[in-house]
Amino acid sequence: MPPPDSPPRQVLCLVVLALLLLLLRLSLASGGGGELTYLWPLPAEFTTGGDTLSVDPALALVVGGEGGGSRIVKDAFDRYKSIIFQHSGVFSIFNTLRKRASGYDIGRLRIVVRSGNEELQLGVDESYTLLVTESDGKSINGEATIEANTVYGALRGLETFSQLCTFDYSTKSVLVRQAPWYIHDEPRFAYRGLLLDTSRHYYPVDVIKHILDSMSFAKLNVLHWHMVDSQSFPLEVPTYPKLWQGAYTKWERYTVEDAYEIVNFAKSRGIHVMAEVDVPGHAESWGKGYPELWPSSSCKEPLDVSKNSTFDLISGLLSDMRKIFPFELFHLGGDEVNTDCWTSTTHVKQWLQSHNMTGKDAYKYFVIRAQEIAISKNLTPVNWEETFNAFPQSLNPKTIVHNWLGAGVCPKAVAKGFKCIFSNQGVWYLHYLDVPWEKVYTAEPLEGISDASKQKLVIGGEVCMWGETADTSNVQQTIWPRAAAAAERLWSRRDATSAGDVNTTALPRLHYFRCLLNGRGVQAAPVTNQYARSPPKGPGSCYDQ
Amino acid sequence: MPPPDSPPRQVLCLLVLALLLRPSLASGGGGGGGGGGELAYLWPLPAEFTAGGDTLSVDPALALVVGGNGGGSRIVKDAFDRYKSIIFQHSGVFSIFNALRKRASGYDIGRLRIVVRSGNEELQLGVDESYTLLVTKSDGKSIIGEATIEANTVYGALRGLETFSQLCTFDYSTKSVLVRQAPWYIRDEPRFAYRGLLLDTSRHYYPVDVIKHILDSMSFAKLNVLHWHMVDSQSFPLEVPTYPKLWQGAYTKWERYTVEDAYEIVNFAKNRGIHVMAEVDVPGHAESWGKGYPELWPSSSCREPLDVSKSSTFDLISGLLSDIRKIFPFELFHLGGDEVNTDCWTSTTHVKQWLQNHNMTGKDAYKYFVIRAQEIAISKNWTPVNWEETFNAFPQSLNPKTIVHNWLGAGVCPKAVAKGFKCIFSNQGVWYLDHLDVPWDQVYTAEPLEGISDASKQKLVIGGEVCMWGETADTSNVQQTIWPRAAAAAERLWSRRDATSAGDVNTTALPRLNHFRCLLNGRGVQAAPVTNQYPRSPSRGPGSCYGQ
Repeated sequence: MPPPDSPPRQVLCLVVLALLLLLLRLSLASGGGGELTYLWPLPAEFTTGGDTLSVDPALALVVGGEGGGSRIVKDAFDRYKSIIFQHSGVFSIFNTLRKRASGYDIGRLRIVVRSGNEELQLGVDESYTLLVTESDGKSINGEATIEANTVYGALRGLETFSQLCTFDYSTKSVLVRQAPWYIHDEPRFAYRGLLLDTSRHYYPVDVIKHILDSMSFAKLNVLHWHMVDSQSFPLEVPTYPKLWQGAYTKWERYTVEDAYEIVNFAKSRGIHVMAEVDVPGHAESWGKGYPELWPSSSCKEPLDVSKNSTFDLISGLLSDMRKIFPFELFHLGGDEVNTDCWTSTTHVKQWLQSHNMTGKDAYKYFVIRAQEIAISKNLTPVNWEETFNAFPQSLNPKTIVHNWLGAGVCPKAVAKGFKCIFSNQGVWYLHYLDVPWEKVYTAEPLEGISDASKQKLVIGGEVCMWGETADTSNVQQTIWPRAAAAAERLWSRRDATSAGDVNTTALPRLHYFRCLLNGRGVQAAPVTNQYARSPPKGPGSCYDQ
Repeated sequence: MPPPDSPPRQVLCLLVLALLLRPSLASGGGGGGGGGGELAYLWPLPAEFTAGGDTLSVDPALALVVGGNGGGSRIVKDAFDRYKSIIFQHSGVFSIFNALRKRASGYDIGRLRIVVRSGNEELQLGVDESYTLLVTKSDGKSIIGEATIEANTVYGALRGLETFSQLCTFDYSTKSVLVRQAPWYIRDEPRFAYRGLLLDTSRHYYPVDVIKHILDSMSFAKLNVLHWHMVDSQSFPLEVPTYPKLWQGAYTKWERYTVEDAYEIVNFAKNRGIHVMAEVDVPGHAESWGKGYPELWPSSSCREPLDVSKSSTFDLISGLLSDIRKIFPFELFHLGGDEVNTDCWTSTTHVKQWLQNHNMTGKDAYKYFVIRAQEIAISKNWTPVNWEETFNAFPQSLNPKTIVHNWLGAGVCPKAVAKGFKCIFSNQGVWYLDHLDVPWDQVYTAEPLEGISDASKQKLVIGGEVCMWGETADTSNVQQTIWPRAAAAAERLWSRRDATSAGDVNTTALPRLNHFRCLLNGRGVQAAPVTNQYPRSPSRGPGSCYGQ
């Protein structure tokens, strides 16, 4: 992760101001005045106070900086405004008028974005500063301020601001408690992912959008879209129009336009979409439209390594996808390859012999050739760890190793100079329903890596929502709240997430965040059930279950 | 249920026209035939319909044209916009080029004409929900082809819009929305006026947005009553201005509904043609009331039922009902009355004394309480609904306006209607959604009129309701517990009895229900797999939505 740009002058000015305020208000307790700060994930640095400020339901957006006028900022402000004021419906107009007379403490949100560059690249600056203080009395309207270097930092700041705003049922107004707030925040890892598997079950586009929305609430920033697998091939590929004949049904498909829409929807939430095309295994469904990709009609996986046309198709497929997915990382799979179909099918066996290859050699050959195709299209290849485990010397040095089988792989990968993504299945595979939240939370991507220069090669981690038993009816409840536990591990500082008893430092906040998700319409399951996604054990408050 | 008004002349005219123009029309309706051999993927099944063999394309820029006194209603316009975004959810910003290309060649359907005869938007029990829907190719005279919905009320128009949206499917080959098996002529109306879903916000609190999401999903299945079981022993989330300490009985200070929230829910429901029937369950199931007003408890150690001996108890109920009356315009109000254990009355000194003074047993006092609560409700111009225990215990004393809400078992509605009471069918063996061992077909084949043969008595069964008790259903799983089984009951309550009772349900209903479940999923509703042995359990493995 590149070091964040130095803070802009305006931010510095604000910091100085905040520090002055701090001096003036000696009562300010650092990091939370004894009361727990209900923020998730925990910001890098923050100070709070003892004031309670009211927020105007007619909160106005004021923008500044080269990027302030961005559509992304305006849309996000509108989204968050409707989240923050979801209790203040049409019937509260009278309330509003009454309050207007007496005045609100915060009438404006100022968002300053230094850069006008909206390119969403890995490691894009997501830092922000958020200041929520009472008006100094000089201006009529009090305001809160978010300052960031990019629009994506502004999005993170908006999420945090929305978490500071709570609806108070006594006064029927939105309040920020423990003000003044001064928050300076930035992510610990650049890559904070969630895998979604649209091959084992098809998720409608609206469901994927709903998941993207919920990811943004936890500051997750990569949707790893495991698009196709053995079971189904839902995606339209214009160059090879028969590929999506591998969809389950004619209704369970994604058009190119659907994919564009998902990428755009994600971008406006600061989320990268990393597509995966898993080769050469996990690809049986490809052959429904193009049976020549199967070694034979009775032995259908891995993809036929012996034919040039196989690689032509992969190249055409990747060209088509490159147009849709601007993210520089592209996942080529490479896991769980059983080469029996190659060594048992006559023409492939013949090919292996004439090239003097074993099945294992051919596996390497296939992976490397696929990598070359990806690199030729200006993509950085990501592979599941098997490719690294089997032939680390042959992998392209740009390869990002995606850990899953067990602990200790990222240490080995970074020792050899590879970048690595942490997804140890024992802790971060969400379909393992017997992994409780605290095991997810305490999993540490840098475990076993002490050299700082090597630590930098771990770009982050990812929770994986494999879809065998997760469909539209239960996918959100399988993802949440455990994905949030990983999200804080990946966003917040290591010392904040690793010190103390997680039942004190994290659990109450996670309960709160789960209920926040529920309030935003996300089907997050009870936090402390023994098995994930099981129903609540009985009647009770969301905050206890 | 009052008989529907005779169809407006315009509809008749259209019908005649359609019949004249298309002698090839296969007569469908009834037993679910209708439609060139292919199954009509509509849920619930319309009363009458005919289909054909054409495929028509629908313009993504579909325009709304309205007519009739009620056509200009905001409810119609909003619903059209909602359904348009559902129908064209695949046609995003990137399909502008497509749209332009298609425009040149022309779409078969460029306009949806909605004619609403009456301008009266009052949403009362038995409001006319009938509609006629005609989808045919343009006759060539006008440049723009159109589909037509005609209804007597805006609520009929809403039902017609839902049906129209189910006819529209996205075709992935042409990337356009098509209506297959056209021309469609559908004439539809509900079998029962009351088609309900109970939601229990006491055992678990559901955020307002979640309730709205549930209301949306109800409208997809043409359910039309949200029975809001607002408060119970566990928590009292609702704000009551006259008794501001009542919602101290909420689980937490964040798990509450303001009066404004309740208004918003009622309005949101009305826009979807859904009544909201509030329930305040007395005198049992009310422990949480006493958190703010401990004097409602017989004693601090014996907290249920509400103290029958104090006038202040009834004053509070009266004040509470006055406040709620302002929010809920629906004429039915549910007073509970179930599972009353009078031990706290007979064991608490001052209540026991009162019983003796009034020469009452616990059972007498139960009756006294229920009747007095009924009188309060009636005085506020409400029709009282009670769980069946009140009818089982003292049918002669109940106000004759009482609607008996069956739940304990079969055979109660027959008894209630025999005595002249109206009845709602919710037999727990089949229509309690928290019973997770009841598969979809048992829900589907449950018949509210079972055991009632006299037509005049049958009319007293106003409908039925599936109940989503909240003990183990929270925001994370409530929709997946409700759906798809609530849809099975919804078709039973909407469609004609001969259509839902004839033949093998695995042929006549299951494929359509699978389809409807996937439709719900496509609209963001977490409907569970249909044929799992236990509802709301996860799919058993990878597979198509349509096969699970």
